[in-house]
Formats: sequence, C-alpha cells, structure tokens
Amino acid sequence: MVEVRLDNIVKTFGETVALKGISLHIKDGELFTLLGPSGCGKSTTLRIIAGLDFPDSGKIWFDKEEVTYLSSSERGAVLVFQNYALWPHMSVFDNVAYGLKIKKLPKDEIEKKVKWALELVKLTGFEDRYPTQLSGGQQQRVAIARALVVEPRILLLDEPLSNLDAKLRLEMRSEIRRIQRELGITVLYVTHDQEEAMAISDRVAVMNVGTVEQVGTPREIYENPRTEFVASFMGKTNVIPARVIERDGDKVVVEFEHFKLEGLTYTGDSDRVVIVIRPERISLKPVENGISLTGKVDLIEYYGFFTEVIGLFGETRIIARTMADRETSGLRPQGDVTFYVSRDDIIVLPKQL
Amino acid sequence: MKVSKWSERLFGTPLFEPLVSFSYLFPLLYLVIFLIIPVLAMLLIAFSYNGHPSLHWFSEILGTTDYIQIPPAGSLVDKTIMPGTGETLYVIRGVDFGIVLNSLIVGAIVTFLASILGTMFAFLMARYDFRGKNFFRIALFIPLLVTPFVNAYVIKSMFSEYGFINYFLYPLLGFRLKLDGLAGVALAQAITYYPIVYLNAYASFINIDPTLEEQAENLGSRGFHLFRTVTFPLALPGIAAGATLVFIFSLEDLAAPIVFHGDPLAKKLMSYEIFSKFLFGTGERSPLIAALSIIMLILAVLAFLGIRKYVSLRQYAMISKGGRWKPRVAKPRKWQALVIYLIMLPLLIFTILPQLGVIHLAFTQEHTVIGNVTGVPGEVTGVVLTNAEFQQGTVPLQGFFQGQLVAGKGKIGPINGSLDGFFQGTAYVKGNKVTIEGKISDARFQGETKKYGFVVGYVNGQVKGTGVITDEGLNITAKITAAISNLPVGKQQGFTLNYIRQMLGNPDVRKYIINSLVYSLIAVVLIILLSITSSYATGRFKGALTPVLESIVIIPIAVPGIVVAMGYFYFFHQIFPGTPFDPTNLKGFNPAYVLILAYSIRRLPFAARSVYAGLQQVHVSLEEASMNLGASRWKTITSILLPMISLNVFGGAMLSFVYAMSETSVGITLGSLNMDKAPITAFMKDVMMSAAGSVNIAAALGVLLITVQITSIVIVNVITKQRYSFIGLT
Repeated sequence: MVEVRLDNIVKTFGETVALKGISLHIKDGELFTLLGPSGCGKSTTLRIIAGLDFPDSGKIWFDKEEVTYLSSSERGAVLVFQNYALWPHMSVFDNVAYGLKIKKLPKDEIEKKVKWALELVKLTGFEDRYPTQLSGGQQQRVAIARALVVEPRILLLDEPLSNLDAKLRLEMRSEIRRIQRELGITVLYVTHDQEEAMAISDRVAVMNVGTVEQVGTPREIYENPRTEFVASFMGKTNVIPARVIERDGDKVVVEFEHFKLEGLTYTGDSDRVVIVIRPERISLKPVENGISLTGKVDLIEYYGFFTEVIGLFGETRIIARTMADRETSGLRPQGDVTFYVSRDDIIVLPKQL
Repeated sequence: MKVSKWSERLFGTPLFEPLVSFSYLFPLLYLVIFLIIPVLAMLLIAFSYNGHPSLHWFSEILGTTDYIQIPPAGSLVDKTIMPGTGETLYVIRGVDFGIVLNSLIVGAIVTFLASILGTMFAFLMARYDFRGKNFFRIALFIPLLVTPFVNAYVIKSMFSEYGFINYFLYPLLGFRLKLDGLAGVALAQAITYYPIVYLNAYASFINIDPTLEEQAENLGSRGFHLFRTVTFPLALPGIAAGATLVFIFSLEDLAAPIVFHGDPLAKKLMSYEIFSKFLFGTGERSPLIAALSIIMLILAVLAFLGIRKYVSLRQYAMISKGGRWKPRVAKPRKWQALVIYLIMLPLLIFTILPQLGVIHLAFTQEHTVIGNVTGVPGEVTGVVLTNAEFQQGTVPLQGFFQGQLVAGKGKIGPINGSLDGFFQGTAYVKGNKVTIEGKISDARFQGETKKYGFVVGYVNGQVKGTGVITDEGLNITAKITAAISNLPVGKQQGFTLNYIRQMLGNPDVRKYIINSLVYSLIAVVLIILLSITSSYATGRFKGALTPVLESIVIIPIAVPGIVVAMGYFYFFHQIFPGTPFDPTNLKGFNPAYVLILAYSIRRLPFAARSVYAGLQQVHVSLEEASMNLGASRWKTITSILLPMISLNVFGGAMLSFVYAMSETSVGITLGSLNMDKAPITAFMKDVMMSAAGSVNIAAALGVLLITVQITSIVIVNVITKQRYSFIGLT
C-alpha cells in the first residue's frame, strides 16, 4: 500500500486542457474519491495515476518513488475499468490469473491466490465460466478480483457502479467498502454520483473543469463547501445569487431581491456572491440566531418521508425540506410562508458560475 | 522508460517504446522504400530531358496524334462481307482518340456500364424478394471470381464471327456482329468489374436505415421518386466508391487489351503502351514511357483522392448506425417481375458466361476426327447456288452448295448436320431436270454424331445428284451414295481432365503454379506483419505520423500495377544494378524478390482494412487492463489483441492471398523477364499473346484460381462466420 501524491499535474488533449495543474495527496489505506461531472478530468487523473496516460507536466509520487513516466505495467496501480475490460477469450480463472502468470508465480501459488481472490468477491465456483456467461455484477466482481489478486499498490476504480442496476449498485457499493476495509488497501474511486461518493469515501476531492475545487471528508464537503460549484454539486441545494452591500471585517450584509440578510460570515473579495442554504436546514418555525424570509408558497411536493416547500421570494425560488408533516399542514399554494434559517447554516461564497 | 518529446509528437506516446516505433516505422518505411521512392524515381526520369528538369516528355505526349488524336480516326462500326459465305458482318471496334484519351474514354464507358449493372443488381438484391433470388445470389457471386485473361478471352470468343452471340443473333437479324478493339476491351472490362460496384452498392443499400425511407414514404414519396430522392442519394457514396475502383482498374487493366491485341486498336491504351515496352527484351526504357506512367498514375490518384474526399464528406449511411434493422424487402409487382425475369435474368446469365466459359474451356477437349463413310449410304440434300447459264446438255458447273446431311454410318457412327461449301463439277441438263456430278471441297460441316456429340469440321467429297432448275437458279436435290469420303474431317468436343492433368503434371506448367504459390505466401506473411503493425499504430496511437501512415497504407489501391512495375524497373535498375533485383540483368534477374515486394504492397490494403476493422472492434481498455496488470506491450499484443482479432487477420490474409495469386500487371511484365521464375499470370499472358500453349491450359489455370478463391471464401466464411468482405474504398 502506498500514499499517492500528485504535484501540479497538467494534461492537454490537442487544444483542450483536461487538467489545469492539480495536486492531490491520497493517504495510505484510505478510500479516496474523485467526484465531479463528466468532463471534469477525474478519469484523466485516474488514467494518469494508472500510467495509461502521461501528464504534460507535474509529478506523481508513490510514497517516495516518482512514477510519473513509469509505464503502466511497472507501476502496480491497478485499474478496474468502467466496462470491466474482461477478456472474452479467457475464462474467469484465466482472467484473474493473468497478472500472476506475468509475475511468473508457480502454478500452485497462482491457483491459491486466484481461489483467495474469487472467495473475496464471492465468486467461488465460477472459475471455468467465460465473461459472456456472467451477469453484470459478476463481471464486475471478476474485474475486482483480477485487480486485487496482484496485490496492487493502489486500486483504482473507474465509475465501477455505473453499469449496474440500482439495487446491485447499493450491494456492490458496500461490498467494495467491505473489501477495502478487509485488505486495508489504498483505493482511488472515481464517480459522478455525489451520494455514492459520500457513502463510500474516507475523503473526497470534488473536481470541476480540470481543477480540484475542494478536498475533504464527505461531511466537510457537504457542510462546508468552499466554492459555489461544490455547494451546488453536493445534492439539492439553494444557491441564491446576491450582493454584498456592507462589510465589517468578515461580517457582511448581503442583499438579494429586496431581502437584506445581516450578520453573515464572508471572507471573499468579490461583492458578487451566492448564498448557499441546504433545504433541510430551513425551518418553518423560528430558530435561534436565525433570519427569516417571508414570501409566497409556490409549490408543495410530498415525497413520503419528507416534504418540500418551494417558496417564492420575489423572483427567487427557495426550497425548504421538512420531515414534520404538521408544519406544512397549514400551507396552501399562493399563501404566505416564512422560512427561518440559523445564520450558522448560511454559507456565503463568491459567485463562480 | 525514457520520456521522449519526439516520440510523443510522432507516435502519440511520450514513452519511447521500440515496439510502438516499429509499428509505425516498419510499414511506413516499407511503403516509402518500395512504393513511394520507385514512383518518385520514375518522376525524376519523366521530368528530365538531357539532364535538365523539363516537361519535354509530357508535351511530346500531349502533342503527338499517337497519344491524343482529335478528331478521332476510324469509324465506330465497320461493315464487311465475310469471304466465302458472303454474310454481312458488322465489326464494332471503337474509334481512335489516341492512347491517352482512349484510356480515359474506355475507363469512363466501363465505369458507366459497370455502375448501371452493379447498382441495378444491388438494388434488386437489397430490396426485393422474388422467386429464384437464391439463384441470383449464387450467380452474382460467379463474376467475382478472378480469372485473368481467360474470361476476356471467352468474351472475345463469344463476340466473334461464329461465337455464341451470333449463334442467336444471326438467325434473328440476318447479319453477324463482332466486337473487337477498344469496344471489345470495354465490354470485357465492364463485365469483369461490375461486381465491384455491385458489392459496394449492395452494402450501401443494406446499410440505409429503413426509417429514413419509411419517413419519406410516410410523407407521401413512392416508387421511383422515393428511390431518386432518398434511397439513391443515400447509397451514392458507396456506389461512387465502387465506380472509382472500376475506373482505376479499367485504366490499369492489361488482360483485356492483351486478349484483344490482334486488333491494333486494342493496343492503343496507356496500359498496353507501357506494357509493350516490356515485350522487347531488357534495356533502357524511354523516358516517354515514364512520363506516360506518371500521367496514368495522376489520373488514378486524382480519381482516388476525389472519391475519398467525396465519401468522407457524405457518410450518410453511417449517421444512424444503431442496432440491427430488418432491411426493407418487398415483393415485386407484376411489371417489376417482368423486368426481373426478362431483363435482369438474361443480363445476369450473360455476365456469368465468361466464368462458365473458362470452366468449359478447361474441361473440354477438341480433337480432330477423321471418319469414313465410304460404302455406307449417306444422304445430302441441298441446293447449289450458281450464276451459271444453263443450256441443254452437259455444262461445267461451279457454285455454292448448301445442304443437310441426313444420315450416315461409318467409323464415327450416325451423323446429322449441315454443310456448306464450294461445288465444282458438271451438270447434264434436260428440260428443267438436271443431273450433277462433281466434288465439294472444304465444305464447312456442323452437326452431331451420336458418339461424339457436337462436331464441326471440313468435308471433301464426291457429289452425285439430281435437281430441278427454278427461276432462282439451280435448285438441286442431290442424293449421294457412298460418294463422300473422309467425312467429317472435323473437331470433336468432349469432357476431359487432360488439361487439369497437364497443368498439375507438366513440370513446365507446374513451376508457374509453385512460383505463384510461394511468392503469394511469402507476400501474405509480409502483408500480415504490415497490416498488424500499421493497424496497431494508427488504431491505438494518435501521433503526427498516424494520418501519414493511414493514407500510405491505402494508397496502393490508387497506384496502377503497371506503374508499380515501371517504377520498380527504374528503381531496381538504378539502385541495385547487376543484382538479382535488377530487371535488366539478363542472366541473373530473379523476379521472385520484386514480385513478392509488389504483391505485398499491391494487396496490402485488403488485409490492412480487415485487420484495422477488427482492431476497432476491440475496446482499447482490454489492452490497457493487461498492461495495467503488469504485462508488457508485446505480451499484451500477443495474448490479448491478436487472439481477439485473429479472425480478421485470417480473413484479410486469405483475401490478400487470393488476389496475390491472380496479380497480373507486375507478374506479366517484370515476372516475364525470367520465365523460369515467372508466376502463373505471366504464363497465361504468353498463351494469349502467342502460341506458347493452348488456351485450354490457361483456362485450366483459371479454374485453379477459381478453386483457390472459392476454397478461401468458404473457409473464411465458415471460420469467421462473417460475410465475405470485399474491395471498398471507404
């Protein structure tokens, strides 16, 4: 197992700059996720770590060894491909044993290790099948076994759940987490699904158009997004464009529509800002150290275990999410509504997008 | 691994890897050295005069009536009276616009005819379901079989004075029709090459997303309007690609001009003109010929580049390539059925006749039979046509005798048939009755015997008979008893394996087969190596050399074989004088080397396309996964990539092999310079140009090639379970 450091990696494809100088530090034994929309550069980062692509500049370190231009076959950063990349002309056994045969291990050791790996992914007894005879989930397990059996320095997973159906996805998610914990290996996980990232990761790096926007634990990223992009990417949230109209140190007065919100914390330079409020942090009852906004009810959406009230404040729509049915029972579309939010739950960030 | 800027730029990978460099450089250097440089060498010669750069030779060509002649000489159709029979014969030969324009005009006509034929059949097969479609399917496969020279020879025989066509035409029209010269060449080429358009057009029609036509129908378009506005434009890129190939093939074709070389007009083509310089020993070639080769090359390359550009601009058929669709197939309506059975079917049969004729020639023996009916009653009834004035009494009589031989017995058994020939003798006239006595000499006999079947020959014999004088002349019923001797002196046809046996058994013929086999097999090994390396480089890396390699691999299609031959001649003579590579080295020249090189280059595009297509089917992640698990590039290629594309490699290799075996242009030029080491086609050419051997042996070689082709196709189809892929440009 290794810790991986990326130092100012730049990668261009023709005219397009895929990675604009990213730096990352993946700790030994952690499950680290690259999260971002498609085209943000997360897969490119993964391929560069795997040695399948090479950066234009910047360096990659595995522990104290620089591996930037080490070929993929010598690197030991083993990738589980999004499409699994199982070789259709080889049986499950041969697929899994491939990496071991390359290492020229004795036959009985290969058999022992393949058996171990297939056990680990719960595929004992499938040795003689061919990839086409397996379900999607089973194919994925073979791909993981094939990667794990060579004892990689770091395991790279490229959108591993994207080709599975919803139920299987949850199952494989915890399976991957279980295996990672069991073996204590360093895993780099790539996904565009924030929920998946939150559930599985020790730490997450949120990427956007070739840069890393924020690195942190899922909780840090969810609760303390440092950029507008991170805030809006991590689940459904209210991102309200606004202006700073007064400053006193890091305390500011922010205005949107005709609402003035006082006593918010903001350290940025730009006066063009966004106010970020998570829907579930909005209450329909007064809160401590809170602000209140009064507007009209636009829509009430009932989701079962929670209800969303969409309020219209001037031209701005704000979503509030509540689990308490009683609080919404008095609301009617077009009727008045007041949203309460604690100042601690309001994040002011520079306008970015 | 070493990081290398130039590796990144040229090969598209920053790590310098010998295997990747090899994949780029081996095919690239191979084609540059053995295709581009020889052609450039010719360019140098063509563009210099007295040691200075000059357009002298080109202006000479463009200014000489031999090369460009406007207005043209000769007339399209000549009417002649056949000696002996007095029948009217129309000979269509074409007019002479000069060598350069002739080639262009013949090319245009062939392209046009082949496109019409190919598109018609493709549309029929792609869109209609009718009784006998399977026959059509099988029959359409037959013209694809390549039998150099022999099929052109059969076409020539079919359209000769007494050929198959006139067998039907003469009784119908009362005159005979003969195709010769440029017209004969054009027809032979059109029939030989139309399957190329057919295959490309068929693929295009099949690949049209049916919803496109359905939408048009849905909006009210029907019938020919639908075809004209939607179907045809969508298929046009494919058809045009096929047509372009036909044009290039026609331009470079030597087989048809050689077969028709008896007519000087057939020699007035660029391909033959260049070729003819190879006929006279070895030695320096005129720069004029190099210039002519360059003109031919430019025409072919222009056509090729034009179509590449056009097709890449209009990849309609590919737009909606999702899933497999059920092709639109309709039952023909009544009038369409009439067209199918009354026009298409006879046309189709007509176009497969050459191949059938080749097989017929290979298995049919003609030998002279001298029979004797002396002493056995034979009876001829007929007329003597004469202008003689009849007086009473005995008069000398000469005339033309036409009659039927009704029966006869003798060594050759019962016989039936017609004979016509010259009569000379005397007549004794009394009233309107006449008795004649005399002999017929060299009368042409056509008939059947029970024992030998169809028999033709010449008859000499005594005639005694009686007749009646009518106004039209002398109408004589001649009864002949035991009067004709040696009947018939003719030829008898029958099934034989002699030619096949001779081909395989005669060491003189067998050596050509072995030569061709050896050269083709070695060429195929090179081709496989070239296709795998070039496909790997272009399919897996995106460096500056990628587009260069992509183009250079396909370019051999656009370089006429005779241009390759000419280029090699100059190149190897200049660079390797006195070695076995040097064609002017009278004693030591060994065509093996240059032929293997030429085959491997000329037939490379077939295999390269197939291998590249296979590579595209294999997702690159399968190889990356292997490298990522620690396998070297070599290991990855051999254990992952090659097993997965093995069928494509195999299919491409078979295709290249088949077409290497039947390669003509280089084989009959450079190959002919040392007949001991010459390939099959060089021998076949000798047969056609002189009496080096019988046409039947050439036909037997044609049958051998057909067998190789059918076997290869069947094997490829069985093993790869894929449709036989064929020549295309896209």
